[in-house]
Parts: sequence; C-alpha cells; structure tokens
Amino acid sequence: MSCPRTQHLLTEYFSDDLSKVTQTEIEKHLLTCDDCTAELESIQNTQSRLRQWQDDRVPHWDRGKTLFRQEHPGNEQQRRNWFWQWLPSAASFAMLCMLIFNTSISRSESGFTVSFGTADDAFDKNHLELRLAQFGELQQLEQNQMLQDFLARMDERQDGNNLRLMQAVFDQTKQTTAESFDQMYSYFEQRRQLDLENVQVSYQQLVDSDFETLMSMQQLANYVRYPGDAR
Amino acid sequence: MSFIDDDEALIATALNGSSYAWEKLVKRYEGRIYNYGLRLTGNATDAMDLMQEVFLGVYRNLHRFRGDAKFSSWIFRIAHNKAIDMNRRRALIQGRTFSIEDDENGEYLVPEQTTDNEPDTQLSKGQQNEEIQCMLQKLPMEQRLIVELKIYQSQTFEEISKMQEISENTAKTRFYAALKKLKVVMEESHVLS
Ligand SMILES: [Zn+2]
Repeated sequence: MSCPRTQHLLTEYFSDDLSKVTQTEIEKHLLTCDDCTAELESIQNTQSRLRQWQDDRVPHWDRGKTLFRQEHPGNEQQRRNWFWQWLPSAASFAMLCMLIFNTSISRSESGFTVSFGTADDAFDKNHLELRLAQFGELQQLEQNQMLQDFLARMDERQDGNNLRLMQAVFDQTKQTTAESFDQMYSYFEQRRQLDLENVQVSYQQLVDSDFETLMSMQQLANYVRYPGDAR
Repeated sequence: MSFIDDDEALIATALNGSSYAWEKLVKRYEGRIYNYGLRLTGNATDAMDLMQEVFLGVYRNLHRFRGDAKFSSWIFRIAHNKAIDMNRRRALIQGRTFSIEDDENGEYLVPEQTTDNEPDTQLSKGQQNEEIQCMLQKLPMEQRLIVELKIYQSQTFEEISKMQEISENTAKTRFYAALKKLKVVMEESHVLS
C-alpha cells in the first residue's frame, strides 16, 4: 500500500456524518486508486467478520436475587410473616387436638377398666378409686404444666414474630412515622392478647371437661361398688 | 402485569422491593452484558465476573437512575467503567490484562480448527465467536472498546468520544487503526490455517 491518502480517506469514509460531497470525492478517488480500493475491501471484510458474532447464552446465575432479597426483605418477608403470625394459632389448635385425643384415650381406658370391674366381682374398689384420683391429679398437674409451658412459649414466639414483622415493615417503608408505628404495635399487641385469651379459654374448657369426666368416672365407680356390696 | 414492561416501570417496582421486577430487568440485559464481557475479556469466566460486577453496580446505583438517559446506555456506561476497572486491576495484580498473549510475536492460534473434517462448511456459532474473541484480544484495550462500541453497539463517533472522553477525530482514527490491526490478524490466521 503506497497511496498517501488511504489513511485519511478511509477514516473519513467510516464517519457517521459523511457529507455527500466528501463521499463523492472519496468514491472518485477509489475509482482511480487500487491501493485504497483494496484497503477498503479488506477493512469491510474485517467488519463483516466481526459482525458474524452471535450472542452466547448466559450461564446460569442467581441474578443477584439473593442479595436483593437480603436487602429488600419487604415483599417476601411479609408473606413469610403472615405465615408466622398464624403459626401460634395453628399450634394451639394442634395442641388442643392432641389433648382431646389423649383424653379420649384415657377415658376409654378407664371405661375399659370399669367395665371389667362390673364383670368381675373380685375387682378392688379401693384400687379403682385410688387410680381414678391419681389419674385426675396427674392429669390436672400435667395440663397445668403444659398450659404454662405453652403460654410461655407462645408469648415468646409472638413477641419475636411481632418484632420481626415490624422490623421488616419498618425497613421496607423507612418512612413510617412514630405515630403509625405505635398504632401498628398496639394492633399487634392487641392481636397477641386476643390469641392468648382464646387459648386460655380453650384450655380452661378442656380442664373443666376433664373434671366432668373424672366426676362421671367416680360416679361410675360408686355405682360399681354398690352392686358389689348388695350381692 | 403488562403495564410493568418498560425499563422505568421495572426499575420503580424493583426499587419498591419487588425481586420479580429486578429479575425481569436483569434478564432483559444480562445477555447483552455477558456477550459484551466475552468480547472484551476473551473468556467466559472473566465475562461472568464482569457481568456480575455490572449488575451489582446497577443494583447499588439503581436509585440514582433518573431516567433522563435511556437505561440501556446507563447500564452500558456502568459496564464500560467496570470493564476498564477490571482490566486495570488484572494488570496490577496478575500482571496480565484481558489479552492473554502478547500480541507482538504475531502468534495467533485459531481455536478448534475444523479444516480436516469439514473444510467447506461454515464454522459453528461457538467457534465463530471464539475466533472473534481471539482476534479482539489482539487489540489494546482502548481499541477493543471502540470496536465494541462502534460495531456491536452501533454507537456514533460522537457518542463514543463522549464516553471515552476523547475527541471525535481520535475516536475515528482509533477505530480505523483497530480495523487495520484486525485485518492483519485475520490474514495471519488464514495463512496459518
Ligand atoms: Zn488512494
């Protein structure tokens, strides 16, 4: 390549704002200059070679979602907290079911024992009464303990959840005024109290019903004893 | 859901904490950024690193995006800065820039030559890209950037000169010099194969 104009000419040729005048001028030169024509051709080849690029697929990556979720706990967290909020209620329901289930088992057990007593005269009445009394005491103790434990645990969890929920909400909005924050807190506090009361009432009912069961069993025991005496 | 489809709406939704909008936004640009990285760095690992850095930068600065420029130009400006940063860091720490081989010895190896088996068929997409990557690595970073902006992002010399903080004339000259160099590289590779 020996034409002294090549460099300047081709640089201009590739500009975006090539004027008609300049273009005509360049093309006129190209018609007469083999050097420049050859150079232009090979440069155009290079360009079209570069344009053969076809986008590769992006390998799998997490798209910054982990980071995003860490720093914007807002939406996702809220959904999770909604779940946590109902967990204590669900747990207390499950606990109730368990207790009722337990109770029904022991009731059927004692029923089984009592029916044995009526069938067999040799059955020891005192033993039966003792067992019933023991059973009643034990149940009451156990239930009280469980109730206390459960309430304590629920208290703890509810506090934790409320705190987490409020933290998430607070983080997300960052504009929450002290006033609405207080309102929110009192709302959650109210909810918590309500939940606790509900559970307490249910447990009291449960305990009461167990006493009724106990009483009826004692009556049954008495009934079993009297026919025995009469014989 | 169709109304959150333009970039601005996605950004606003993402800023409100929607990871769905964020992911959608990332998905829209990751391909372009990753391929940009491939061409600039010459290998997938660095391209991946660069892409992750770019999106981290986007994430950190999303609240500063004002919408007076197009999001695509904004994200590519971040990519551009990250690429230069990364190249500089590589040079400092490992004594290597993105160009793996020193280009002075003119050694140019076309990866995975298929001339024995299928001499007349076209190169596969992956091979084509690899060849182009190799060619681009022969350029100094500043020339490579101009080729990237001009050929692959169809920017005008005016836009390039603003981004690179050089005169329009310098941009043109650099672009032409890059093409000339690539022409030589291509001829060498054809001689070799
Ligand atoms: Zn000429």
